[in-house]
Amino acid sequence: MESLLQQLARFSEVLAVSRTPHVSTWDPATVRRALQWARYLRHVHRRFGRHARIRTALERRLQSQWRQDSGSGPAPDPGLTNFQALGRCDLVLALRLLQNRALREAVWHALLQQVFPGPGVPGADEETLQGRLAHLARRRAAVHVLRLHGYQESPVVQEDALLKTQAEGPGGLLSGLWERGPQDNFLKVLAAALLLPPPSPRPQEEETGPGTPNTPGEGHHELLRWLLGKADILAAFCRRLPAGVVAAVAGRHPELSRVYLGLLADWGRHLHYDLQRGVWVGAESQAVPWEELYGRFQSLCQAPPPLKDEVRTALESWKAQDGDFEVPGLSIWTDLLLALGTGT
Amino acid sequence: MAQDSVGLSSDYQFWMQKVSTWDQASTVETQQDTCLHLPRFQEFLRQMYEALKEMDSNTVIERFPTIGQLLAKTCRNPFILAYDESQKILIWCLCCLINKEPQNSGDSKLNSWTRGLLCHVLSAFRFDIREVGLFTQGLGYAPADYYPGLLKNMVLSLVSELRENHLNGFNTQRRMTPERVRALSRVCVPLITLPDFEPLVEALLTCHGCEPQEVLWPEFFDAVSEAFLLKKISLPTSAVVCLWLRHLPSLEKAMLHLFEKLISSERNFLRIERFVRDSSLPEAACHPAIFRIVDETFRYALLETDGAPEILATIQVFTRCFLEALEKENKQLKFALRTYFPYASPSLVTALLQHPKDIPQGLWHQSLQHISEMLREIVEDQTHGSYGGPSDCWFAFIHFGGWADVAAEQLLRSEADPPEAVLWLLAFSYSPRDGSQQRAQTMEEVKAVLGRLLKLLRSPGFSARDVQAAAGQSREEAPRPLECGPLIRRLLLNFLLWAPGAHAIAQEVITLMAPTREITHEITGFLDQTLYRWDHLCTTAPASRKLASELLTELRGQV
Repeated sequence: MESLLQQLARFSEVLAVSRTPHVSTWDPATVRRALQWARYLRHVHRRFGRHARIRTALERRLQSQWRQDSGSGPAPDPGLTNFQALGRCDLVLALRLLQNRALREAVWHALLQQVFPGPGVPGADEETLQGRLAHLARRRAAVHVLRLHGYQESPVVQEDALLKTQAEGPGGLLSGLWERGPQDNFLKVLAAALLLPPPSPRPQEEETGPGTPNTPGEGHHELLRWLLGKADILAAFCRRLPAGVVAAVAGRHPELSRVYLGLLADWGRHLHYDLQRGVWVGAESQAVPWEELYGRFQSLCQAPPPLKDEVRTALESWKAQDGDFEVPGLSIWTDLLLALGTGT
Repeated sequence: MAQDSVGLSSDYQFWMQKVSTWDQASTVETQQDTCLHLPRFQEFLRQMYEALKEMDSNTVIERFPTIGQLLAKTCRNPFILAYDESQKILIWCLCCLINKEPQNSGDSKLNSWTRGLLCHVLSAFRFDIREVGLFTQGLGYAPADYYPGLLKNMVLSLVSELRENHLNGFNTQRRMTPERVRALSRVCVPLITLPDFEPLVEALLTCHGCEPQEVLWPEFFDAVSEAFLLKKISLPTSAVVCLWLRHLPSLEKAMLHLFEKLISSERNFLRIERFVRDSSLPEAACHPAIFRIVDETFRYALLETDGAPEILATIQVFTRCFLEALEKENKQLKFALRTYFPYASPSLVTALLQHPKDIPQGLWHQSLQHISEMLREIVEDQTHGSYGGPSDCWFAFIHFGGWADVAAEQLLRSEADPPEAVLWLLAFSYSPRDGSQQRAQTMEEVKAVLGRLLKLLRSPGFSARDVQAAAGQSREEAPRPLECGPLIRRLLLNFLLWAPGAHAIAQEVITLMAPTREITHEITGFLDQTLYRWDHLCTTAPASRKLASELLTELRGQV
């Protein structure tokens, strides 16, 4: 395992160098070795693709390495950013070397020979490097053709596909941001994005909008959908951001409010009543304390309807499930409702 | 070799002009023209590569001074780059231009230029949106990852637009205009064989707008049909049905393709079954319109070939596969049998539909009787009733070949007098157009032969000559006329397979029976069909089966 990680690190260096003028010192043997290395890593990708433990370890190492690298210099080097990238590392290397003008002519010719040996080579197109490079070129042409001739009348759609692709990213563009941190800032920006005012005529009901790129309306849906799909980031979002902010976002996006309420219910159920002290406490240190829970519910109850009413209804129903007690200390929901007062 | 290069030179001039006219294929006309010529241009590129790879860089420039221009213009045409393997062959051609030992600055310049063009082909068509490029780069999203993902998403959103178009018709503002759908179908022509495009091809085929006339570009259908027949694209049955319903030539081509495969291979039921299943025709034929066309094509083929056994066999196999597919279909709208067989009475079809394996063997004679009576009624009815005449009901009958085979077998396996109905059925199946007198004569002959064969069975031992005599062939006389030939031969063959004493002399009898290649062919066909039928009926007759296999192997070895 350790040797694999080392090889990964060394190959990443090679990949980084492949874009720089440093390749002028390379000779055909160096190129051949680099390509062989890439082929080996691709084999690793295929072999361990289903092996969760190894895959995770490799991925973690790649991401931490990338975080380090991207700190330095204005133009960060993409290179190998996650496990998936290993599957294409020979493509990336070949493309970089082919496009690197610093590579000496004779070396470049040798490279060309290796990468494009011609039709006699056995193996299906999906397997050989030349086949995959041609396939990539084909797909690029396809994108171009569609973009220019299939999308002429509907730039809105184009933007969505574009956004979506960027959002999906390698492990997700947003996930990438999350991983790199700082996370608190990320969460705040996310909340701000979700709270942006919607554009006045709803864009998805019009066939042709003015089509300015990245209008906030379309971004909302992508962003929310992404967030709702990431349980851990969602939990962090609901936990770490101030009560008022989350309440505002929940008020704007009903899907989020449902999840938020679910989380609150879960946090609430983890508290138990300490008879001696007369307070609700949690068993673990990470448990959400009573004060915070109260604060969050308070913010929610101050939100405009329908959220306010939804929250009240939820609290009432949980209280009823617990036995509908009016006496404090038996059900946290009773106590919360008592604390929140009747409200307006 | 000289002739090849002359041909190539004139082709070169032709394509040079074409490629210059097309330029970037940004207008409808240039797009259409490009798409029409894509396969031929790819073939030309291949030929060019074959020629170029034998030459060194200087010879290439000597021979084709304007080749740089040709290749450069090709690189600018996204439709060419998007088609099949054209981009790969283009790259190979460019590699041939590289001068391995540049002598002067001119050579180096050419190399540099070629290098640039190669890079262009590999990483052409960047998105113009610079921020997107930087953004994706900053997040580690290499083009090798990005473009496949982007393509997938673009296809997905187009598909969802098409589906919405289909479901909502007039009711939504987000309708894709017919012009746009047409443009999309035109633009997709080079991309049909790209696996990422399968959902879009499927959506274009299955999602109809509300226009009364066909919206899709005709060359789109041709391209899909071609790709489908060559197995370069796989489509679900629903899409294939739409293709064939919307574009009749595609269905015709599919049938031609099937016939070609059948003709070029030896008649072997298993192979026929494989070809038929492969063709998707049985599933698609659950749609009555398609069934009718396929059926009529078969009928036509039968007429043209005068009842060729290969066509008969194919019809039987097709019908069986079709019935299987029909049973599996769980659509809410199930069409009545009458829709598929309008030329035959429903009661006849229902009787024929019953597969022998679903009826206990002891009751087969009853079914045979019933079928025979129904057929006879139709055939002998002068007024022709409300359904077709003799040829129609014969055509219906041969779809379900199993019953004719069963009839022949039953005659040989039962010791009783042959029932007239069964005799009639056999005579009818071999010669549907006989007048009643002719048929009666045939029935008499068959009865006589049967009688003699059964007598042989009861005798202690018999030789090949005895069998020959039973068939009515005297030892000196010339063989019988051909009209009775196939029917009597079939009886003899059945006799050989089922009579306990016949196994030893079977080979000899067959040699006597088969003076010509055609007849040998007929006999191998019969043996193959019998084995196939027994497999499906789960008939356990190990001795007969063994004999049949041996004879078949022997005969096949002879041919």
